[in-house]
Amino acid sequence: MLEAINLSKIYDSGPPALDSLNLRVESGEIFCLLGANGAGKTTTINLFLNFVKPSGGSARVKNLDVVQAPLETKKYLAYIPEQVMLYRNLTGLENLEYFSSLAGRRYKYPDLLPFFEQVGLTTNEAHKRISTYSKGMRQKVGIAIALAKKAEVLLLDEPTSGLDPKASNEFSGLLQKLSSEGVAVFMATHDLFRAKETGTRVGIMKHGRLVDTLDTEGLQHTDLERIYLEHMHD
Amino acid sequence: MIKTIAHKEFLQMVRDGRFKWVAGIVFCLLLASLVVGWRHYQTLNTQHELAQTRVREQWLSQPEQNPHSGAHYGTYAFKPKTFLSSIDTGIEPYVGAAVWLEAHNQNQFQARPAEDATAVERFGQLTAAVVLQILLPLLIILVSFSAFAGEREEGTLRQLVSLGIKPSHLAAGKALGIAAALALILVPAVVIGVITLSLLTNLAEAKVDSGRMLMMGFLYVLYFSIFISVSLAVSAKARSSRLALVILLGFWIFNGLIAPRFASDLSRSLYPGPSNFEFESNIKLALQYGVDGNTTYREVERKRRTEIMSQYGVNDIKDLPVNFAGIRLQMNEDWGYEVFDKFYGDLHENFRKQNRVQQIGAAVAPLLAIRSLSMGLAGTDYYLHQDFAEKAEMHRRLEVKIINDDITFNGAEAGSKYVNGIDVWEKVPPFQYQMKPVSWVLGNHWVSLLILIMWFGLAGGPLCWTIRSIKAG
Repeated sequence: MLEAINLSKIYDSGPPALDSLNLRVESGEIFCLLGANGAGKTTTINLFLNFVKPSGGSARVKNLDVVQAPLETKKYLAYIPEQVMLYRNLTGLENLEYFSSLAGRRYKYPDLLPFFEQVGLTTNEAHKRISTYSKGMRQKVGIAIALAKKAEVLLLDEPTSGLDPKASNEFSGLLQKLSSEGVAVFMATHDLFRAKETGTRVGIMKHGRLVDTLDTEGLQHTDLERIYLEHMHD
Repeated sequence: MIKTIAHKEFLQMVRDGRFKWVAGIVFCLLLASLVVGWRHYQTLNTQHELAQTRVREQWLSQPEQNPHSGAHYGTYAFKPKTFLSSIDTGIEPYVGAAVWLEAHNQNQFQARPAEDATAVERFGQLTAAVVLQILLPLLIILVSFSAFAGEREEGTLRQLVSLGIKPSHLAAGKALGIAAALALILVPAVVIGVITLSLLTNLAEAKVDSGRMLMMGFLYVLYFSIFISVSLAVSAKARSSRLALVILLGFWIFNGLIAPRFASDLSRSLYPGPSNFEFESNIKLALQYGVDGNTTYREVERKRRTEIMSQYGVNDIKDLPVNFAGIRLQMNEDWGYEVFDKFYGDLHENFRKQNRVQQIGAAVAPLLAIRSLSMGLAGTDYYLHQDFAEKAEMHRRLEVKIINDDITFNGAEAGSKYVNGIDVWEKVPPFQYQMKPVSWVLGNHWVSLLILIMWFGLAGGPLCWTIRSIKAG
């Protein structure tokens, strides 16, 4: 579903921000990419979104190269950044209607309300302007957009950063629900606990290189923390 | 997709408190200027029509007298006003709307509102044209400077681009949204203005030229489109919305405040014209010594007298079968015509050159193009003024010729005691001026039209280019 083949990115002749990444995320899988600041997590997401052009290799979505078919590949993707930015003076419902329409999915307002319910937002909240929303609520709208878009791949860039534990837990639940429906999830995060709890696989990135990949099944939190720190201290 | 984007842009704009305030102010100013302009047009038009009728009645009701006294009594020609002059008063306040037609003199225009203006009015009138040409572009800039730059700062542009929207659709949607918000101001202002006017006056009497009106509307849409395109292009390219605002305000100041003054100063320095005093003094001097400065009227008259006597085969002027006084009066007029044609011709040619410089100046500021075209369609530009002045002068010459011929061919026996009345006054037709068609206007303003269209194309080009290479963050 999501594939990086020798994917590299070098900014202004500096050291590689991403160095020959080879990775494959299948449908129903949640891949959590861990790493320190500047490790190359966001660059990887930007490359899949075609926000930046690769210096080498290829980023592919459903076997389509994102550079060669930028509009086609984006049809399958939904992107949730650290802070889902929405239009403050539109309601949650209007935002959802707008983004889903632009994604090619047209709904009438009543048909959009179930998406709010699925992400744990009430009808009353859906009718409120985004300027009144908390960060957690905005992140949930981001998921609602992905649901409405019927995205097959979810790219998340530190989506739980700054969320309280309850909101973070609810968010993880939503991702697992999506993955159980066949959505491939790729999440960059600093949160080891959340990565272990949510992900099916965890990757550790350092200086632009994917240095380790682990299955979360049977993996203990303490093991993950230890392995992660070992890599960071190398 | 474009419609969805346009709808969202429109919705966001109308919910924005800043837009509400600015649009409200522009709306009120536009409405006020339209209503005041229309009332002013109605009043002036009625006054002119009444005055033209009265002047004709007075002309016809002159007593029996020497017809030359009638030529001195003179008459007035009033420049007709188009309905659109209520929107754009053009150069009218500075050149006047009436001219006195009398024997011997080609007079300058009278009734210039600028002469009666107070010091407070030195910054000019608030007309609908000022609102449309200056304030509407400012409103466009204020609502669109953050169209892309703001979204980039807010992070929503990344969201949008991640959805796989074509940047051209995004730009088109945003442009349509801005246009819809502008229509929200323009359409009600025009509708309310028309309703108010129809309650105050009889619209059927208003000389509404739908062709001119449609053309004016179309050209203003082009003008606004230029500002929308430029604003979106700058917003897409600028690093921040603040920088976009600064660049766009700079463009607005240059377009609306600096360029018109600079073009005016440049045209005057390239083609300096005489002062009013100098102009009138030169005419007086030429009437005495001829256009070449070496001939006196006496010499010409003496020569012509000999020719006339030879033509009729007489040795004494008293033996002529015609009244030589009439011939002499016409000779004097012909002498004057040569002088007036030379000096007014030179003056008009100079104004035309100045005008052309200002039209070409539109290449750097689209205001100069729309201003020129707007005045032209409103019938308040220099070209119409000059044409009217020429037609009024032709009428004056016809009037004087009819009177002088009457004296020449009917006053031989009575000589200087010759009198006539209504017979001769009626021979002089009433002055009527036919307004020019739109094609004539566009013919005079083709440079402005061409430059406005070029601006439209050139503003669209950079927009397409910047949009294609737009960066999400």
